Amino acid sequence: MKWRLIALIVGALAILAGAVLIAHASPLASLQSLFHGSLGTPVAIAGTLKETTPLLICGLAVFIALRAGLFNIGVEGQLLVGACTCGVVATKFHGITGMVLGVICGMIAGTLWALPAALIKAYRNGHEVITTIMLNNIAMLITSMLVSGPLKDKAQSDTATPYVDANTRLPWVYSNPPVQINLALVLGVLLCLGMAYWLKKTVGGYELQAVGANRTAARFAGISPQKVTMVAMSISGALGGLAGAVQVLAYEGRFYDGFSPGYGFDALGVALLAGGNALLVLPSSLLFGILSKGGTALQIDGIPKGITTVVLGLLILIAAAIRFRQVTKDA
Amino acid sequence: MLNLIELTILFSTPLILCAMGGFTSERGGVINIGLEGMMLMAACVGALVSARFGAVGELVAGIVAATVMSLLHWLMTQKYNLDHVISGMAINAIAAGGTNFLYLKLSDPAHGSNLPHLPITLFAITGIALPFILWLYSKRTRGGLWLMAVGSDPDKARLMGLQPSNVRLWGLLATGLFTGIAGVELVAYTGVFTDNMTSGRGYIALAALIIGGWRPIPAFIACVVFGFFSALRLQLQGTPLFGAELPPQIWASLPYLVTIVALAGLLGKNRTPAGLGRP
Repeated sequence: MKWRLIALIVGALAILAGAVLIAHASPLASLQSLFHGSLGTPVAIAGTLKETTPLLICGLAVFIALRAGLFNIGVEGQLLVGACTCGVVATKFHGITGMVLGVICGMIAGTLWALPAALIKAYRNGHEVITTIMLNNIAMLITSMLVSGPLKDKAQSDTATPYVDANTRLPWVYSNPPVQINLALVLGVLLCLGMAYWLKKTVGGYELQAVGANRTAARFAGISPQKVTMVAMSISGALGGLAGAVQVLAYEGRFYDGFSPGYGFDALGVALLAGGNALLVLPSSLLFGILSKGGTALQIDGIPKGITTVVLGLLILIAAAIRFRQVTKDA
Repeated sequence: MLNLIELTILFSTPLILCAMGGFTSERGGVINIGLEGMMLMAACVGALVSARFGAVGELVAGIVAATVMSLLHWLMTQKYNLDHVISGMAINAIAAGGTNFLYLKLSDPAHGSNLPHLPITLFAITGIALPFILWLYSKRTRGGLWLMAVGSDPDKARLMGLQPSNVRLWGLLATGLFTGIAGVELVAYTGVFTDNMTSGRGYIALAALIIGGWRPIPAFIACVVFGFFSALRLQLQGTPLFGAELPPQIWASLPYLVTIVALAGLLGKNRTPAGLGRP
């Protein structure tokens, strides 16, 4: 199996090198600008950490569904409705109340958005990948409709909701402008630790992973796969909504049309790369943060941003191939 | 009224072709979420080649591009034993990013939005004939029965002396062919490639296949129904309903909504090929 993995990695690198050649750039120079743009300066590092925050929380959302054997491709849509709801709620209230209510309402919205997919999967056995993708498309269209119509702030020329008050925004834990790190990142890290604990040490976490490992066996052990499917998708949706809410309260300050550059999709790569360990979501999301921030630097060099999505796809393949190798070794 | 029928055919054709690509793959036991990516890749490469080598070159290049993606899926699921859904998602990501990259770097902006293309009628006829051909093929020919056998029970098929991964190779080559034609058709009637132009059609086609119980003719009917709703959207968009004009986004989400409702309500008897996703 080893030579196959090596062949896969070599193939992936060949594709990337080919792409860089097509773009008439030098592979080494692009790699350099990728890392310089993401880790080269304190400002770049802060930017990378900013990108990492939604990827981490969304990554956890995909991860928990994946542990229950579900592919929640719908995190993108859950993030959008969460962010939109939070953007509206947080402008109606002020200070801590607005912050807390915004986050809670965002999470509820995310859960509700995941619910149809969860119900169809649990009780009709309709594949969650298809339903969540449909829900993504609908979320994109509906939020776009809302911010260009009823929710639009008349004071701005953009299609966006009004800005959230400064005292409703999530505070910075480290602020030395232009280098700033938001509480949101700390929140994400704590969530990650919490999830690792929950999955490893509690009955609920055990049941969830039992269903993910083998639905039939779990059913014979007295665990209801339907219930676990509902729980896992609800948590996943809530986390997706949370990612959106936090993105509004920490960084963006408002919801606007085209809010997410695809965090929900990148999160899929984050979770798959992390494999079976919740703690690995941390380094995995950081890697994607680097790719995402560095991708912007590449764009300035004339390499289209699509290349980072190709890297994501190749990384998914390689990560999954490595995981398989481990499975056979254990068996 | 005639316009509505025309539009329905126009919108159903890529769905049907794509769903039939899904049929040859999934009946052989390979879950194929990657239909979307294969179609997108075909559309992009087709458009790039069409500008230089004309309509026939477009068709050939589109089919080759989709087949390459399809073969990658075969390699990953059959040789690397990857989870089929993961491989499909990776293919979609590679196609989404790759087409963005290739088109920005290689397209010739002078061509605008009138690339040479084959007549749309040709695609429509293929789309209408294909489900019936595949139905006969899967019921009446040795190759078709092999494919069904491998998809229904790979272990028993092995006992009968079939090598599932080899049979699936042929299934996935057909998937490449059909999704390739579907992608080229999309470029043919819009006349230009745009980023993510498949906009979920691959998934809708897959939903149609599932709702149709993995059978070509019911899947064909499901595709036509989805096509009809897309056509309806285009016809009704902008006309007032119950005294108020609905925003275009509501109409645009109609096909996706119909897919969800259909998946929630129409899944009756479990017709899932028993070997789906198994090695």
